[in-house]
Parts: sequence; C-alpha cells; structure tokens
Amino acid sequence: MIQVENLVFQYPGNDGPTLKGLDFSIAKGEIFGFLGPSGAGKSTAQKVLYKILEGYKGQVNIDGKNLSEWNNSYFERIGVGFELPNHYLKLTGKENLELFAAFYPNGKKHNSTELFEMVDLADAMDKPVETYSKGMKMRLNFIRAIQHDPDILFFDEPTSGLDPVNAHKIKQHILDLKNHGKTIFVTTHSMETADGICDRVSFIVDGKLVLTDTPRNLKSRYGKEAVKVDLKNGQSEEFPLKDLGVNPQFLEFLKQDEVKRIHTLEATLEEVFIRVTGKSLGDE
Amino acid sequence: MKKIFKLAFTDFKLIFRDPSLRSFLVLPVILFALIIWAVPPLIEKYAILAPYLSLFLVVGVIENTQMFSFISSMVLIDEKESDVAKVYGVVPLNKMEYVLSRFLIPYLFTVVLNLVLLFVQNICDLSVGAIMLISFLAALVVPVYALAINSMVQNRMQGMVYIKAFNMLVLIPVAAFFVPEKFVHLFGVFPTHWVFQAIDKATQNLSIGLFAAIGFVFFLSLLWFVSRTFVQKHFV
Ligand SMILES: Nc1ncnc2c1ncn2[C@@H]1O[C@H](COP(=O)(O)OP(=O)(O)OP(=O)(O)O)[C@@H](O)[C@H]1O
Ligand SMILES: [Mg+2]
Repeated sequence: MIQVENLVFQYPGNDGPTLKGLDFSIAKGEIFGFLGPSGAGKSTAQKVLYKILEGYKGQVNIDGKNLSEWNNSYFERIGVGFELPNHYLKLTGKENLELFAAFYPNGKKHNSTELFEMVDLADAMDKPVETYSKGMKMRLNFIRAIQHDPDILFFDEPTSGLDPVNAHKIKQHILDLKNHGKTIFVTTHSMETADGICDRVSFIVDGKLVLTDTPRNLKSRYGKEAVKVDLKNGQSEEFPLKDLGVNPQFLEFLKQDEVKRIHTLEATLEEVFIRVTGKSLGDE
Repeated sequence: MKKIFKLAFTDFKLIFRDPSLRSFLVLPVILFALIIWAVPPLIEKYAILAPYLSLFLVVGVIENTQMFSFISSMVLIDEKESDVAKVYGVVPLNKMEYVLSRFLIPYLFTVVLNLVLLFVQNICDLSVGAIMLISFLAALVVPVYALAINSMVQNRMQGMVYIKAFNMLVLIPVAAFFVPEKFVHLFGVFPTHWVFQAIDKATQNLSIGLFAAIGFVFFLSLLWFVSRTFVQKHFV
C-alpha cells in the first residue's frame, strides 16, 4: 500500500521542482501506472519512492509507515525494474542475478534457473551479459527485480526495447504478480502497456497529475458510445450503442450490402491523453 | 559477512575478465624483482646512492599501493558508468557496509604486498614493528585514492586523467627528501608524506611512532570524508 500526498521534489541545482505536488495511492493487488511524455517526471517520482532521491517534500506512506522511517528492511520489501539495462557486462546473466540475490534473506527467493526460463533466457544465462541484446538485458532487469519476491514493485518502462512477443509476456508476468497480491507501480509512455495492464492510470505532464482513472472509464468518457459500420459498397454510418440490437435503422443498414467492418468509437488512451493534456505521448 | 565475501569474490571475477585490469596484477611482481635483484647491486656500485636508500623503499611501498588504487578506481568507475551502481542503491545493504566490502580485500592484499616487500628486501634493516605499522598505514592509500577519484569523476575518460594526476600526487612528497631540513614538513599537506617520513625514520632505526600516528589520523579522517561524499554520489 502506497499513499502519496502533495509530493514535491526538486533536483539540487535545478531552477524549479520536477514534481509539483503529486497525490495518488496504490492499493495492494493493484497495478497503477504513470502515463506521460518524456521528461514529465515519471522516473523521478519512482526514484523518490524507492528512496534513492532524498529531500522531497510532502507525505509518502508505505504500508502505513512514513517512508523516511523505513530502514534498510524497506529494500527487502521492494523490487525495482530499472528504466535502462544495468548489469556487469563481464559477468554472465546468472552471475549478475545471483550476486544481487546474496543481499536478501533466504527463504522467499525464487530459483534463478526458473526465472531465466520464465523469460526465455535459459540458453543465455551462462553467457556474459555483453553478448545480450537490449531486449535480453531488459528481461534480466525484470527477473532481477522480482527474484526476492518483494511485496511492492516499481517497473520503469518495463516493455521498452522489447519486441511485441516479449513485451506481451512481460505484461502477463506483471499481471501474475498482481494476482499474487503485489502492489505495482509502472511508468510508461506506451499507451498499450498502460491500457493492457493498469487498473488505474494517472496522466502526468510537467510534474503534475492531470487525471487519474481506470483506462476503461477514460476511454468511454472521452470517446463516443457508438459503433461505426463500413459496408463493402463504401457506405458508412454511426449508430448509438444504446438499444443497438433493436435499432431498426441499424438492422436495415446491415442488409444493404456485405459488411466490411464494425467497430466501437471509444477513444484510445492516446487520444484521451492528447485531448486532456494537449500534448502527445511520443512513442517508444 | 556472506554479502561481503560475495562482493569481494565478484570483484576478482571482474578483474580477471578485464584484460586491462588483469595486466595490472603483474605490477607488484615487477616491483619485487626490481627491489630484490636490481637495486642491491646498484647500491653496491654507486656509493652516492647511500643517503637515499630509504627512497627505494618509499617508492616501492607506494607503487605497491598503486595496483589496487588503479584497479578499484576502475571497477567503481565502470560500475557507475554502466549504472550497476544504482542496483546497490536499492538492495538491503548498508552503504558503509558496501564501502567496507569493496575495500577490505584490496586493502588487506596491499598490506600483505608491503609486508612481503619490506621483509624480503635487504636494502635496509627494519624492525618487525615498523614493518607492520608502515604496511598497514601505506595500504590506506588504496581506499582513499579510489573513493576520492570516484567522488570526482563521471566517466572512464575523466577517470584516466585523474588517475594520472593522482599517481603523481602520491609521489610529490618524495621531494621532501631533497629540501633543507626546515622545509621538509611543508609537504605534510600531502598524506603520503607521513608514510614516507615514517619509512625514513625506520631505515635509521629511529622511532616511527609520531609520524605513523599523524599518518593514521590523516588517512582515516580523509577516508571518512571521501566515503561520505562517495556514498552520496555513487548510487544515484
Ligand atoms: N539527476 C538529475 N538532475 C537534474 N535534473 C534531472 C535529473 N534527472 C532528471 N532530471 C529532470 O527532471 C525531469 C523529469 O525527468 P524524468 O527522468 O523523471 O522524466 P521521465 O518522465 O521519466 O521521462 P522519460 O519518459 O524520458 O523516462 C526532466 O526535465 C529532467 O531533465
Ligand atoms: Mg523515465
């Protein structure tokens, strides 16, 4: 459980704050996402929460206890998936993983071989990381973050640099973690990642949270509750979702020619983002 | 304890798998060969060297510390540059424990190098006590050097420049051997001066207690200071 109130953070030497008063909370068993353009402050917010940046203002409570009151045992409870790959290039994947495993108490830790199998790296685990591709290194980041079975997880751009298949797998693993009751905070500028896994998302722009809601609500609030029907003969028309099945015009229209496609007019998260913030996300 | 050994052991893997670091491990071997075989015949042949015998030991002792000063500096710079340092920032490891685990082995190893050097050399007669004190004192150069470098530089390129500068810096107080008596301790602003003076006293069979004490206080204060600045910077 993470509760954040009026979080303000300024990097030493910068003119103004990077985080300008954030309010949000993340429940146990919830995946919460920060969606925003580059430079918005997503990573900064996570760094404050995982205690690498000091000197923030505002309230941060983790499981009811003030962040600053947590000692080193905090790091046993959290797992951090860093934004960029960071490993010892001369060591093998397995050596990298096991080096950091040594810092955690025994008992809860996952078996390293199983972790490598889980992200399809079993063949590479005994090879030096300098021979890995970016996507392989990111998958190593991922398993390093979860190897000690932490309760709270921070994933900074977990799918960046991954091909669609692996991105999909990582998203599935994150959903699995949620089903095991973990508290999960992800940042992304990928609309698909946010839409696919987050229970709730916050739009963050320029250090401020503009809007927080479930992806479902956001998309329907800003889209049209309607379907659009395209026919093979080129005709196309929109019909409201309400009472669609007994709408005579709709049924009549369908009979005019073969249907090419029917799609709902709910907005994509990206469209909602642009409408609400006036900014584009910039893609991965 | 387990954590500390795991880290120390990893450092050795990192060193042995990096050709440029690995090659530095032969430095003390060359040094020993010079001090044991090359220097004594020289001294016998050239009588003018007699007043400067302690200088050979001074240079020998300080060059012994340079191997791990360089290796540890580079291991840490690499770790910072590759962002691996950030991972240490989010594991349940006390930051001072981290510093300790990174330097315990390089420090002790350097102590042993100096013990061996000072015991096997036959340039000067030294007491066992003096040899012990000098070895433990001089090896403090390693953590101070590497932590200071890593508190200042951002990347490998800068690191190489600073390392060159530091290599000279540690040797500057050698000049104290060539200035009039009353100016000798002007070089006391350089911490290695006190190591050198202690060695000089030891070669004359005088008490090294005072200089060694100043040296320990100087080095330990520096160590405390650079550890703090290092810890504030390294993991972010
Ligand atoms: N170490 C630092 N010192 C000073 N300013 C910084 C530092 N790190 C980040 N910033 C500034 O803080 C702002 C937010 O950066 P942050 O990395 O949190 O953005 P982000 O939302 O994660 O972006 P991205 O999507 O590119 O990862 C940027 O304007 C950046 O320049
Ligand atoms: Mg970021």
